[in-house]
Amino acid sequence: MPEEKKSFVTMWRIILALIFAAGIYATYLRFAVGWHAATNMSDAQPWGIWVGVATLCGVGLSAGGFATAAAVYLLGMERYRLICRTAIMIALLGYGSVCVGYAYELGLPWRFWHPLVYWNRHSVLFEVCWCIIMYTTVLMIEFSPAVVEKLPWKRLRETYLGWHHRIVIAFVLAGVLLSSLHQSFLGGLFIITKGKEYPLWYSTHLTTLFYMSAIPAGIAMIVMALYLSIRSLNVRIDPEILRDLSSVLTPLLMMFAIFRGVDMAREGGLPYLFRWRAETGYFWLEMLLFVFLPVVLLNLNYVRNRPVALYWTNAIVVMGFITNRINVSITGLERATHAGYSPKWPELAVTLMLTTCAVLAFRYAVLYLDILPRTALTKQPKWLANAGVAANA
Amino acid sequence: MAEKKKALLIDITKCIGCHSCEVACKAQHNLPGDPELQLSETALTTVQEHEGKNVRRLCMHCEEPACASACLVGALKKTSYGPVVYDKEKCIGCRYCMIACPNSVPKYEWSKLAPYVKKCDMCSERVAQGQQTACAEACPTGATFFGDRDQLLREARRRLDSDPNYVQRIYGEREFGGTSVLFISDVPFEKLGFTVVPSEEPPLPTLTASALGEVPTVVLVGGSLLAGLYWITQRRREVALTEAAEKAARNSEERN
Repeated sequence: MPEEKKSFVTMWRIILALIFAAGIYATYLRFAVGWHAATNMSDAQPWGIWVGVATLCGVGLSAGGFATAAAVYLLGMERYRLICRTAIMIALLGYGSVCVGYAYELGLPWRFWHPLVYWNRHSVLFEVCWCIIMYTTVLMIEFSPAVVEKLPWKRLRETYLGWHHRIVIAFVLAGVLLSSLHQSFLGGLFIITKGKEYPLWYSTHLTTLFYMSAIPAGIAMIVMALYLSIRSLNVRIDPEILRDLSSVLTPLLMMFAIFRGVDMAREGGLPYLFRWRAETGYFWLEMLLFVFLPVVLLNLNYVRNRPVALYWTNAIVVMGFITNRINVSITGLERATHAGYSPKWPELAVTLMLTTCAVLAFRYAVLYLDILPRTALTKQPKWLANAGVAANA
Repeated sequence: MAEKKKALLIDITKCIGCHSCEVACKAQHNLPGDPELQLSETALTTVQEHEGKNVRRLCMHCEEPACASACLVGALKKTSYGPVVYDKEKCIGCRYCMIACPNSVPKYEWSKLAPYVKKCDMCSERVAQGQQTACAEACPTGATFFGDRDQLLREARRRLDSDPNYVQRIYGEREFGGTSVLFISDVPFEKLGFTVVPSEEPPLPTLTASALGEVPTVVLVGGSLLAGLYWITQRRREVALTEAAEKAARNSEERN
């Protein structure tokens, strides 16, 4: 690839350096200067985009991990075994950045271990917290072979992989259950905001709604990652898998839309659909990005047959998903609390830096581990030369 | 410790807006500053003006507090004698209580690097020792009155019955599952900035409780369903393998 021959300073490296410089300065502001310098959060809007985007979307967009694992291991859809590691790695990186993001979001982050010791089983957040801790562990176990198979010690490698192969199904099953629970309960967090949450978003079924929307968003995330891997990381897989994955989205998004509509009628949100208010605009933007546009686009042959078009359509799904989470956690609460929140730049900088870290980790994992089949781009280190041959076959 | 459930009765018709309660509160909790318009990290109670009336704002001390049900480490708790108290040693600063509270009462020390949640604690230490709250003690007109909750409810009922000018409703008798702060007024509560919920509405924690109650079902039903699916997948694979083997055997026989 010509990329390797370019000079050390490239446009992307400059952008990366800027992102990290801003992120690190924002970190300094948050931990050394104070909340007012680093965020626009206030008593009226105690949760900003560190919850709305970094947490709700970080976890939600990782839903492809358990969905793919379930499809391959439990339903026997062998077609997707090829991308199983990719999906699990995206999930692991997503949860990893959520955990790091919580260091910024919590007022007293050094007490992160408190939920393990002080329990309140009536709290939805307690449930979410425990599920996320356990599922991150499950993800690490599911993903571990990709790292272990690269270790230079043959005996250890084979013993570990042999055992892993025998018990992985138990972890997949536990992972699906844990994911289903906390993906739903992230929505469940807002059930208690009855009277505060705007009627277009409030529902006692926010649990189901969050679950149903996370799965298509997670799959869209995988499609995006796969496309970029094929384009930039020399990954050699049949691009048709992008179309197959995307074709799952239409029924999933339609199901979500129908459930959402029926639920809204039941909760009495319908009269608010066309009021001349900011919320109405945000609602329709969410619907346009998450439901209408993707469903139309994914059924055009023009889009289905072009990986680039599929990539952008899935990007729209992801943007629609992010809009939905922001709406539930920020837009929908503003009217009741008289808040006028928009994120301050350090909030954005931290979120961007965490996302960039995850993307970089993804890139290097694909380059140096056997995540996806690819033609070698860089010279492998000597100690890697013989390992991982089996996984490539 | 006091046995009976304590409460405050606030009669809006009697409040003259002197802010004595607020000053006493700040003194009791070592908080700086002059009287404030809104609840804040330095104002656990305020007196606001609505419709020409002076309306106190403070934590309602719900019987079934949304904040306490939301707090994942159980830092917020309803005590047996009335106050909803905050244990700052447990708090991790997630601020879910602020989201959960229907009146947005808990405030945060945004100006500090190690911030805690701030809200009225109904002078729980004083009340536990059998004293009344600082605000009730300071009130010159008896607009804020401290006592046993059931006695205060009877007193409020008596005032509503004796004077038809009162709105015939005790705010806090049933709102949010009942509260330890009761209001009576001669101006409708919705005009005074109160969060008005239908009194037959179940308290907020029951909503999440019913969602959380589905967890065991999801785990059991979901778990067995997934295990069943896995079994079917495995069985199919075995059958396919056996059939393929048989077919291969037959083919080789025929060739022989």
